[in-house]
Amino acid sequence: MKIEILGLNKIYPNGNHALKDINLEFGTGMFGLLGPNGAGKSSLMRIMVTLMKPTSGTILVDGKDIQKNRKELRQMLGYLPQDFRFFTALKTWEFLDYSGALAGMKNRKLRVSEVDRLLDQVGLLEVRDRMANKLSGGMKRRLGIAQALIGNPRIIVVDEPTTGLDPDERIRFRNILSQLTQNDVTIILSTHIVGDISSTCQGMALLNRGEVVFSGSPENLVRNAGGHVFRLNLSTEQYESVKERYNIISTIPVDNGWEVQVVSDDPPGFNAIPVIPNIEDAYVYFMEHKIKATIID
Amino acid sequence: MSFLHNIRTVAQYESRTLRRSWFFRLFSVGGLVIMTFMNIGLFSPVGGDSWGLQAISSSVPYVNLYLLNIGQAIVVIFLAADFLRRDKKLDTSEVLYTRSMSNLEYILGKTWGIIRLFLFLDAIILSIGLLMNIISTDMSVDLLSYLQYLLIICVPTIVFSLGVAFVLMQVIRNQAVTFMVLLGYAALDMFYLYYRAGWIFDYMAFNLPLVKSGIAGFGNSGLIANQRLLYLFSGFALVMVTALLFKRLPQSKLQRVVTTILLILCSIGAIFAGFGTWNTHSARIRDKKQVIETNRAFENRKFPVIETASIDLVHKGKTIEASASLTIANENREDLETYLFSLNPSLRVTGIESGNRALEFKRTGHIIEALPGKRLAHGEKDSLKISYTGAVNEEFCYPDYSESSKSNPYMIAMLVINKRQAFLTDDFVLLTPESHWYPVAGLNYYPSDPARIKVDFTRYKLRVKSRDGLTAVSQGRVKKDEGHFSFAPEEPLTGLTLAIGNYMIDSLKAGSVEYLSYHFPGNDYYRKSLSALKDTLPQLISGIMRDLETDFSARYPFSTLSLVEVPVQFYSFPRMSTQTRAEVQPAMVLLPEKLSTLEGAGFGKRITRQKKRMVRNNEVLTDKEIQLRVFQNFVQNTFITGEQFRYRNGVAWNEPVRYRLGSSFYFFKNNFWSDEFPVINAVFETHLQKAKAPEQSGFFGFSSSLTENDQANLYLKKASFRDVLASNPLGDTLRQVLTVKGDYLFNLFREKAGIDKFDIWFRDYMNGNRFRSINIADLNDTISRKFGFEFYPFLEDWFNRKDQPGFSFSRLTASEIIVADRTRYQITFVASNAEAVSGLFNISVRTGADAGGRDNASINFGGERVTISVQGRGMEASDISKIVMLAPHETKRIGLVTDAQPREIRINTLFSMNLPGVIALPVSNISKKRENQAEFDGEELLASPPGPANSHEIIVDNEDPGFSRGEQQAVIPLKRLLGINYNGRQEYQEIRMWNLPDYWQPVVKAEYFGKYILSAVYTTGGKGDKSISWTTPVPSPGYYNIYCYVGKPADQVRIGSNEGDQDEENRGHSPSQDMHYKVYSDEGVEEITVDYDNAENGWNLLGKYRLTSDSARVVLTNQSTGRVVVGDAIRWVKAD
Repeated sequence: MKIEILGLNKIYPNGNHALKDINLEFGTGMFGLLGPNGAGKSSLMRIMVTLMKPTSGTILVDGKDIQKNRKELRQMLGYLPQDFRFFTALKTWEFLDYSGALAGMKNRKLRVSEVDRLLDQVGLLEVRDRMANKLSGGMKRRLGIAQALIGNPRIIVVDEPTTGLDPDERIRFRNILSQLTQNDVTIILSTHIVGDISSTCQGMALLNRGEVVFSGSPENLVRNAGGHVFRLNLSTEQYESVKERYNIISTIPVDNGWEVQVVSDDPPGFNAIPVIPNIEDAYVYFMEHKIKATIID
Repeated sequence: MSFLHNIRTVAQYESRTLRRSWFFRLFSVGGLVIMTFMNIGLFSPVGGDSWGLQAISSSVPYVNLYLLNIGQAIVVIFLAADFLRRDKKLDTSEVLYTRSMSNLEYILGKTWGIIRLFLFLDAIILSIGLLMNIISTDMSVDLLSYLQYLLIICVPTIVFSLGVAFVLMQVIRNQAVTFMVLLGYAALDMFYLYYRAGWIFDYMAFNLPLVKSGIAGFGNSGLIANQRLLYLFSGFALVMVTALLFKRLPQSKLQRVVTTILLILCSIGAIFAGFGTWNTHSARIRDKKQVIETNRAFENRKFPVIETASIDLVHKGKTIEASASLTIANENREDLETYLFSLNPSLRVTGIESGNRALEFKRTGHIIEALPGKRLAHGEKDSLKISYTGAVNEEFCYPDYSESSKSNPYMIAMLVINKRQAFLTDDFVLLTPESHWYPVAGLNYYPSDPARIKVDFTRYKLRVKSRDGLTAVSQGRVKKDEGHFSFAPEEPLTGLTLAIGNYMIDSLKAGSVEYLSYHFPGNDYYRKSLSALKDTLPQLISGIMRDLETDFSARYPFSTLSLVEVPVQFYSFPRMSTQTRAEVQPAMVLLPEKLSTLEGAGFGKRITRQKKRMVRNNEVLTDKEIQLRVFQNFVQNTFITGEQFRYRNGVAWNEPVRYRLGSSFYFFKNNFWSDEFPVINAVFETHLQKAKAPEQSGFFGFSSSLTENDQANLYLKKASFRDVLASNPLGDTLRQVLTVKGDYLFNLFREKAGIDKFDIWFRDYMNGNRFRSINIADLNDTISRKFGFEFYPFLEDWFNRKDQPGFSFSRLTASEIIVADRTRYQITFVASNAEAVSGLFNISVRTGADAGGRDNASINFGGERVTISVQGRGMEASDISKIVMLAPHETKRIGLVTDAQPREIRINTLFSMNLPGVIALPVSNISKKRENQAEFDGEELLASPPGPANSHEIIVDNEDPGFSRGEQQAVIPLKRLLGINYNGRQEYQEIRMWNLPDYWQPVVKAEYFGKYILSAVYTTGGKGDKSISWTTPVPSPGYYNIYCYVGKPADQVRIGSNEGDQDEENRGHSPSQDMHYKVYSDEGVEEITVDYDNAENGWNLLGKYRLTSDSARVVLTNQSTGRVVVGDAIRWVKAD
């Protein structure tokens, strides 16, 4: 499966230019959309799941414009929106059953079995008869994930899926998604949690203020940050000075001072030791240095 | 398939969601509880006596769904508006929107989800009704009607409500506003639009006539189908609009196109159904207008009289094929060049023959003009045969009446019944003379003179053929041969009726009359309830007939009386030309199926109730006695008096007079006519058919309203008899006016000829002229020869003049006298007529033992206080003992002598300005015996009326010019905002204790003061912002004693009283308390408070004041702690 996003723009009636000439291409597997709040991730997601029309541009799925072929797209789609909290008066299993039925699962017996399998998978089987509205925030999120997966969708769009999940649940979710990528499924994951991307995504795009500022693999993003992440051992006075001049990624109190990591184009002194960056370091370096530099240029 | 799957899925979960909403749960639980109790109360064996509903088996689903539908329509609006709001509010809805389904599927799913939920609720409630229906002992079960009413009432209402709510939510986007708008429309339907424009706006079928007959079904299926399809299609069209407007990207262009096509198809369906609904309404109006216009063109043409008519009819499903062989006579002064007949406009004339010669003819609407090719001179006869075929147009029957459930409600409880005037179907036929199903030599309505009628007494013969298994019913005894039913009534009839159906026949010979009962299988429920009467029924019925004959002073003129069961929808409108309704035909009464609309026909429940009452009262009655009592009550109310009316907003809901047999004693056997006074037959009929029914009492009986006689006099105060007729009055007005005019005329006859002499002679005259039409000019000649006076000259004023006499009565005395060793009683009083027209009043005397348990009240009688009896129990009524005529400005002393001790004299002022028109004067203070005193039984002319008690007094009553009610501005804020005032409101009403008027309302009561009209004005107690005033010129300055009049009605309700408690302390207090008068004098304005309870019943002194200015004035405000304030009259008496 190949998804192409071509010259996509979205301008809201209030003039907010949410997406600016987005061009992306990705295939089967998991694709991550990373960006700060307000970057346009959700707008892009909503256009992808046919909840919204773009102002211009197209999204092609296997060469077919999704705006002209909504029916086909919706038949292969699973979607988890960013906000997923308020339910009608349905029980947990009923909501899932409802989603399954609408996803084209006409056989009631099979559907019920699939509902229970998914509930088990997301750890909600014990609360299957509880009203969905009575579930905890994390449980609701898990139910959202389950409903996005029901009906074996070929494209799964998940918007900030791990928000509100505890670490165990987050890991469980990542594992579920990872397993799905084995089944010729395209997963589009939007998140501002960098860890979600690093562990699972084959490709990714970095969105900022409606524009794609990076597109490639997470490894590429990390590679770009190589040699720009340093560890320093500082006294309190030094720490105050460094804080003023550099972006501190992490701060650990140690005997007689602080151990900090900073991103910087050049070694900041203070006996800075270069460290191998992870994707989180790379994201900060990219957002704080590359984009600002581009803007200044 | 996925289309249906998606709809089903959405519906399933929408239903599940709604089922869990508190609003629906509350409604459904409340509905279930209420409807269960209602079903038990109405239909179960332990329930009450609601025979109207029990008789019609389809009323079970109808009542249930009618009531449920009103609540449902409102709840549906709320839930429908809630769904879009909910979708918008719930973020989880978005995941459903990304599923593969079209907007149409989603919206249809939501719609079906709501519908099926309500249908499920309806089904549960219907099954409770069905259970009651099954266990009810008197009801049959009409299973199909359960489904029919569900589809007719609920489905279109829900779909339409949903559609409107969806669209409004899309447009307005506010649930509260949408709810209010739709609630407003629902209220508008229920209270304003429900009957207008042929029910086209009645989306809830709130007032649509939907009662289904067990004999003839709905009888208006076309209207019902169109009206309900209008809302079903409109609802679906709006659902399509919702799908198009729905805030979700459409699935595909194809789906939008499909939705648009469905929208167009539903809209076309709605337009067609709406047009069909409107067309039913407008065609009805158009047809009626056409009949009136045709009648207008022929109302001055001369018609022959049909002496004999032999009709041969074949029933062919929804049409008939018939021929009528007629013998006609010309009783007009002029020759006839054409023979005019009226035949229902939907019956096509195929040929007219006379002596084997085909006659040319013209057809103009329903009029047939046969051209005999010769002139028929006065008194000559001819015969002809008219052949015709076709259906019957019912709109022809009462062209001056529109089908309005508002002005002519016809209901069982809240259920509206379709009014039908004829039936012509495969299985049932009902054709009455009103439909002109055979040629009639006259018009059914004279537009220029609606009180006119042409009555022919015709000797009919009828031969009928219908399909096997059906029985034909008509007047006279039946003979059946070769599949034909032949009828040959022994007496000439005013019209012929034909019914064909699956009738069962019972007959009973009682006296000289054979009683025939034609009923449908299973509808003879009364056999079981009245089983004990079986043996005595002949005697019972002949006894009832004898009583009727005695009441009407005439013999029943026919040898048979057929009681024919007809569909409940059969309904006749009242006519101006006769008081006889079409439900009663010569020798035949057309009774509603299972006597459903008749009061007291639920014999079983009545008998049970009676038994319970007996047990409570420790009475011992046999079953037979109880059944006899119940049966006699029913017969009395249905066929004789017909007094048990039920009213809503002043309009009679049921009309027992429809079945009164009175017409058999005049209208079907005698006829008087006059070209100059065409109303004369209706006047004679109203007087001579008047049953001896008690006067209608006021609501709940504690506050008497005006009698019908009084109301008629109020109409006649404003317009002459001619003008009243020309104004085409509605409702009971005409009957009331005819009664007053008839009573006046016959009192005139009796006054001139002598009461007994005239009555005996006139009874013989009527019997001697049975089945003949008499010109009143001939009657005048006969009376002139017999009694030496002519009434014809009086008729001019009687008909055209509106001035009324006004009577004053005074100086009532009563004394014992000895005449020829017998103690007798002499009563005298003085009567005056101060007006410029002559008038009549009659006097009846009541004698007997002490009137046990009666209340007494004081009234003003010629300036004196006398006590009157307000309840007549314990007295024996006697006939009219004297009729007195008073010429203009004439005063007479009247003397009466009775053998028994008089208790009360009642003066009926007939046609006069007096209100109340019947004055009851108790005769108290009878002076002791005086020997050899001469009797005075007659009239003595006095030179002048008795003068006032005090020549220096001035009285201003609330009827006088010096009285002012000021601006009748409303005080209720909403009414004031709408600019409502009550200046035009003059009609007298009764004092009501609820919803008190915020204006000064005139009220008539015998206890109030007045010259002719004993009236006062009242309003609700307030803060003094409303006032009335009495003003009069003062002839000379000086000191005056000023009095106010306080009338104390004896039947006035007391607040907080214990029923039946005579203890003064426990009798509660009067609704009138403190009254605040402002007296204007030289000293300024002084406020005087009069306490009602301590005031004298009559004149009460306010004080002595010096008055020097030109006019004197007293004001009464509405300031009071009491519930009502009453103002009547003020008297100024010059102090010496």
